[in-house]
Amino acid sequence: MPTPPLFIADLVVERGDKRIVDGLSLSLAPGEIYALLGGNGAGKSTTLFAILGFLERQGGSLTVGGVDVAANPDAVRRQVAYLPENVALYDHLTARENVDYFLKVAGCPRSRADVDAGFEGVGLAAAAWDERAARFSKGMRQKTAIALALLRETPLMLLDEPTSGLDPAAAGDFHRLLETLGRRGVAVLMVTHDLLGAADTADRIGLIQAGRIAREWTASPTVPRFDLNALHSGFASAR
Amino acid sequence: MSDLKREAWLLGRSRAALAALLLLFLCAGAGVALGLATVSRDRAAIDRMLAGQPAEESALAAFVDDAGYGAYYGFQPTWNPPSDLAFAALGNRDIAPTMLRIRALALEGQIYENEAANPELALPGRFDLAFVVVYLAPLVLIALLHDLWSGEREAGRLYALQATPAARRHIWGPRIVVRAGGVLAVLLVPFAVGAAITGTSPLRALAFAGIIVLACLFWTAVALLVARRGNSSAVNAASLAALWFALTLVAPAAAGLAINAGVTVPDGAALARENREDVHAGWDRPRDATMQRFLALYPQHAPGSALPPTFHWKWYFAFQHLGDLHVASASKAYRDGIARRADLARAAGWLLPPAGLSQAMARLARTDVAAQLAYQQRIRAYHTRLREFYYDYLFSEKPFGPADLATVPRFDPAGGM
Repeated sequence: MPTPPLFIADLVVERGDKRIVDGLSLSLAPGEIYALLGGNGAGKSTTLFAILGFLERQGGSLTVGGVDVAANPDAVRRQVAYLPENVALYDHLTARENVDYFLKVAGCPRSRADVDAGFEGVGLAAAAWDERAARFSKGMRQKTAIALALLRETPLMLLDEPTSGLDPAAAGDFHRLLETLGRRGVAVLMVTHDLLGAADTADRIGLIQAGRIAREWTASPTVPRFDLNALHSGFASAR
Repeated sequence: MSDLKREAWLLGRSRAALAALLLLFLCAGAGVALGLATVSRDRAAIDRMLAGQPAEESALAAFVDDAGYGAYYGFQPTWNPPSDLAFAALGNRDIAPTMLRIRALALEGQIYENEAANPELALPGRFDLAFVVVYLAPLVLIALLHDLWSGEREAGRLYALQATPAARRHIWGPRIVVRAGGVLAVLLVPFAVGAAITGTSPLRALAFAGIIVLACLFWTAVALLVARRGNSSAVNAASLAALWFALTLVAPAAAGLAINAGVTVPDGAALARENREDVHAGWDRPRDATMQRFLALYPQHAPGSALPPTFHWKWYFAFQHLGDLHVASASKAYRDGIARRADLARAAGWLLPPAGLSQAMARLARTDVAAQLAYQQRIRAYHTRLREFYYDYLFSEKPFGPADLATVPRFDPAGGM
């Protein structure tokens, strides 16, 4: 059995004297898209931060590609691409310069042709490649950041509220991009409030409540992929 | 190296950062240029004074027929040549006399006469590299470092950057090095040019560069300590501006006021006046009393001390010297007070690094108070030699003619002997 890109068992994370994540368990297979739904303060972002090694865990186990986050956070970060809720680029740099810079920071520089291919892959218009990011819409920033994530070729991608603030068309584009990632074998853990978007894209949806996965749904191979009524009532009860 | 190159590239793409560095570079360049101009003006003035001396002596030779006239009319140049680092830290050179033409008359008045005009000269202040390093460079460092983390956090990039492997080593370390190094470079390049033009000895240039590095390190450390606290960029900037204001302006000024209040120093101009008044009173004092006091100091001249009923230069120069002795204790108190203030200011410099570094630069450039007092002491030592040279002629009634002018002791700026 291959090593899962992400494996979490009985994770406990506290911030101050408050237990935010309390026994969360989750495992992702390569190419799987997992949407973590939940209300504010349920522990979604805290889980992401624990995976990135920003927060120490107080219990449980957490490995990325078989590497323990606490033991070797840098090795874990090499395998993870992270997109924060508000993708922020350096406004004074062009899209190409931003990607170039962040790739170098991550220690994986790519050729100009590779970067161009990355932009094409995410559907960023060629006219925007050499435009300063200051003029970008949120969707364009999102595409730039996903191109960056793709170019890093990490086996795991963490997305924090990726569709927040996107118009419906841009959100649609984004979900198609996620499917592309999944097909390439990239496991995606997406924290979101966007129930419909999650239902459209995810292979599994977990409802986090009081710091643990309270319920979980798996996509059906047929359309509709999820029972929206069940999802909605579960989500509403969690809020 | 690639991390540094990458961060240098990023810094180079920021117009605001480049503008700040360019402005600092221009200021440092201007500081060096003004310093070089001031030093060059000093040297030119000294050269003019020395070049004029032969003409002065030949004019004197036209009418001198005894030692008294030679001593009275013979001005001798003394000077404090700028060091090879004076261009970078002018220190007190703009307010303290750097050359003085003296005669064998009472000296104290001659020394302090200069001070009457100095406060006027000091009003505009000086603009040199040391000023740029102590006052302006910290502001640019603060501008480049105050939002190192908060700027990324506020722009929403912090977590994305932190999520990369070994962010501290690969991002923050190189970024700090590049930004602080950029400031250092724009200070050191003009300094190196100035040092090359002046022919500064490599070791001394390195020592001065070391002080510049220390100044940058200090403000880098302060900026990073504040930036790491997790406040917003605005709060960081305000805190650092307040610290800069306190450490470079308020605290040194307060320390200066406290030191000046605590260590009283006689007024130099009053000292000169007192010296002159005592010399003038010498005309009215009984000549025997004057000579007795003088011969108590120079008993070897007793055999030739008999005075004619008319004026004689030996009596005149005797009461001139007694005029110096009259204010000797006040003069020493003045020097001791100035030195004590400088010592206390140096001690305060340990608590106020910007002031301490400024003093260190002036000390290394030999433009500080100690250098000024040392020059005065060299003048005093030379004046003693000059007087005693003429005493030998006056008290032995040895003939003195134009040819003897060539044997008058000369001032040596290095030793004063």
